[in-house]
Amino acid sequence: MKVNTRSLLWIYAVVVPLCALLIFPIYWLFNTAISAPDQLRQLPPSFWPDAPRWEVFATVLRERDIVRWLGNSTLVALGSVALSMSVSVLAGYSLSRFRVRGAGALGMFILTAKMLPATLLVIPLFGIFRTFDLIGSLWSVILAHATLIIPFSTWMLKGYFDTIPRELEQAAMVDGCSPIGAMVRVVLPVATPGLAATALYGFVLSWSDYAYARTFLTSAQDNWTANLGLTTMKGDYYTNWGDISAAAILITLPIVVIYLFLERYLVGGLTAGAEK
Amino acid sequence: MFDLARPSRRHWLGYLLLAPAVLLVAALIVYPLFVSADLSFQNVGIARLDQPRKAFTTNNYAHLFSSPEFWMAAWVTLKLVVVVTGCCFVLGLGTALLVNQKFRGRSVARLLVALPWAVPEVVATVIFVWLFDSSAGLVNWLLIKVGLVDQMINWLSSTSGAFAAVTTTMVWKGYPFVSIMALAGLQSIPDDFYAAAKVDGASAWQRLLYITLPSLKPVIGVTLVLVMLWVFRDFSIIYVLTGGGPLKATQTLAIMTYEQAFGFFKMGYASAVGIVTLVICVLASMAMMRRAPDRF
Amino acid sequence: MARIHINHVRKSFGHVQVLNDFDLEIEDGEFVVLVGPSGCGKSTMLKILAGLEPASAGTIHIGERDVTDLAPGDRDIAMVFQNYALYPHLTVAQNMGFGLKMRGMSRSDIARRVEVASQTLGIEHLLERRPRELSGGQRQRVALGRAIVREPQAFLMDEPLSNLDAKLRVHMRAEISALHQRLGVTTVYVTHDQIEAMTMANRIVIMRDGSIQQIADPDTMFSRPKNLFVAGFIGSPGMNFMRAPLRIEAGTVMLDLFSQKVSLLIAPAAVSHLAGQEVIVGLRPEHLGAASENTTNVQFETRTRLVESLGGDKYVFVDVPPANRMLREAAQTPAITANTAQRVTTGAEEQRRGDSIIARLINPGRLAAGATIRLEFDPRHLHVFDPHSELTIA
Repeated sequence: MKVNTRSLLWIYAVVVPLCALLIFPIYWLFNTAISAPDQLRQLPPSFWPDAPRWEVFATVLRERDIVRWLGNSTLVALGSVALSMSVSVLAGYSLSRFRVRGAGALGMFILTAKMLPATLLVIPLFGIFRTFDLIGSLWSVILAHATLIIPFSTWMLKGYFDTIPRELEQAAMVDGCSPIGAMVRVVLPVATPGLAATALYGFVLSWSDYAYARTFLTSAQDNWTANLGLTTMKGDYYTNWGDISAAAILITLPIVVIYLFLERYLVGGLTAGAEK
Repeated sequence: MFDLARPSRRHWLGYLLLAPAVLLVAALIVYPLFVSADLSFQNVGIARLDQPRKAFTTNNYAHLFSSPEFWMAAWVTLKLVVVVTGCCFVLGLGTALLVNQKFRGRSVARLLVALPWAVPEVVATVIFVWLFDSSAGLVNWLLIKVGLVDQMINWLSSTSGAFAAVTTTMVWKGYPFVSIMALAGLQSIPDDFYAAAKVDGASAWQRLLYITLPSLKPVIGVTLVLVMLWVFRDFSIIYVLTGGGPLKATQTLAIMTYEQAFGFFKMGYASAVGIVTLVICVLASMAMMRRAPDRF
Repeated sequence: MARIHINHVRKSFGHVQVLNDFDLEIEDGEFVVLVGPSGCGKSTMLKILAGLEPASAGTIHIGERDVTDLAPGDRDIAMVFQNYALYPHLTVAQNMGFGLKMRGMSRSDIARRVEVASQTLGIEHLLERRPRELSGGQRQRVALGRAIVREPQAFLMDEPLSNLDAKLRVHMRAEISALHQRLGVTTVYVTHDQIEAMTMANRIVIMRDGSIQQIADPDTMFSRPKNLFVAGFIGSPGMNFMRAPLRIEAGTVMLDLFSQKVSLLIAPAAVSHLAGQEVIVGLRPEHLGAASENTTNVQFETRTRLVESLGGDKYVFVDVPPANRMLREAAQTPAITANTAQRVTTGAEEQRRGDSIIARLINPGRLAAGATIRLEFDPRHLHVFDPHSELTIA
């Protein structure tokens, strides 16, 4: 839509303050992180600290197990994404290409799975994992996160595969590939953007989980994920807001970086799946 | 070895490819669901599968439907769903409409507007707990400065304050999703529609009302359901922010399920609450889907 | 290069029968075109030939091998697709060499074959490009190249020219025909365009609703169509159709056409069951000419409705006497069902021909719409169709 200058001014008049307002909490987090604890207790709140404590990040990294937390979150995310993707790439491809009896039922079920409250599933999973002695192990969260990711990734991947013409596999089969060979050599390379977007979305889903991490890992401090670790820094009576903000920033950074670089793909991934 | 490349056998491949997903989903979702249902009919404290099952009883459900705590949680959930979804919609749709205009810096605006989506819920909670801090939080200071209130509000200790804090946090986290979906929907509306409308003499407001919004209906429908489901199910934000308090003022059904299971260790009862929550979710979604069947 | 035997192939999807008893023998080196309207089953048959769809019944032999249940890669065939189906992530050279690589050919051999094929098609300068950088015509050539390098026993082509613009299509038609002349590979070509069929085929297989209507070389199909559908499908603009009552007088078969009695060279015995009924008469626009002194031709006077001028040729739409029109507003005579009349006269072009026919006149000078004109035709060019079975009588 073409916009004339007067409308342009109106737009800027709204957009700039609006963006500022919406991003404000993130800025405030940063501001809080680098402020000295005494300054934080004072009113009026300062919008920029008098003596920025840039070393807070190093301090927090040293005093808290943040590196371990980040490492655990990464391991868990990589594990659950790998597990989910390997299963849903095949399933998404099958749903896209084949008229499978019961595909409708699977579709309906996946839809239901997206409605499932984690708080419901966590109870039986707790029972199951307890029986297999997995409580406290990272495997419990990897499997639990897979339940979060698979419904979305299958749906998204089916959508992506639908956009790839079947003639490509047909040409590959005429050229001498087996059906699986055609999928691996031709369809998957062409679907790489979709695969990447789906994997990244799964990564974000896993990284953001708190419910499963808290339930399964609290007892094993070495295995705490980032979210879990962060909440332990919030005390019931006293919280070092500067430190916890710095920790929060460190934990958010990987996801925000992914988001900034791959926003286009992520958004495409969300909507491609959703448009069905 | 079966040669799946043969035309007559190729459709087996479809089943073969589907098998791993089906197995995994069966093991991790379907089976636990059955276990959950099973638990809800037992008087179980802590769930463990290798012990003999306890007696079948419907006490959990009976207790649940007659307990005021359950109905309170249902009411809180309903309130939260309505308020948060409404706000997310207004904010999400508004930002999408704005960012859809052509102006310099548009891609930056788009990036910023959707940024809260990338922030983990726990981090968002930390931010807002501090913002709503009763003694040194920014919100209190602003409200006093502007003159809306005359003293510090103890947000997290007052029932309505806590609700407001939870709502704000959820809206901040939730609107980007609506924004992203709406923007995609907006961008798929052909420019020709607007051109034809302009030729017909429609004003900008009329174009919005008669072209933009109707074209967005399918996307809005899907997004509406997804956001409502998200609020329904959310755990992280509420649990970390208020734990469901004070006095259960922010305890949704999801929180209640968790509390009963891992706070009071009454997993049988908790499963019953969870199952009821799930049923409500499914019924509500089906009702919504009926109104927009083509999108599903 | 090989013969292809398709024996009694049937195909159904669930309860829907898509192919009925398809039977065809293709000679070594022949260029066979499967043509027909959308949904007639031609693409399905090609896919079954390729091994991309299983047949519900019947067998297929390529060369002397029974390939009915062989994977596409094992049939020694190459295929060209309507949408080219080039691998987007590979270069042109890699696209062309893909099939050979799958078969374990050495890199140098592959390079050599790709080189030769690209020269044949004039695409050597494109070998390192990716498909998205190429134009439609170039992509089509790469698709052809991919098929050629395989040196298969047969080429299968699925509407390869449908996505090209008109001018390019004409050009590529000639190129494919020239290629076939040069390489002599058995080719099965599917299209909905009867012009492609007529210009390229050694033999045409015309299909409708899953059944073969006729198998013949182009000239035979043009001059001796087996039924109403074939007659109407082949030729552009299509054949004119009219109704005429058939009578047998004094041992001669006569039609009431253009208010005259036109005698036909048909044995009365062949049409005795139709005496007194209306039959469907077909006459191609090319067989209508301006009236001359040749008195053996039937001449008639009529009014022009519309003149479409192509410069040298003119398509003249002229009135048909009400008695001979295909479509009637009043009650239909039972002999020709409303269905038949409808089917013959539906379609954008045929809409106008419910009550008019087209004559193709070459260099007739100036003609005005609404003017009276005298036309003639040789009665031997008339095609007569049984109104019930729609088969050709003459």
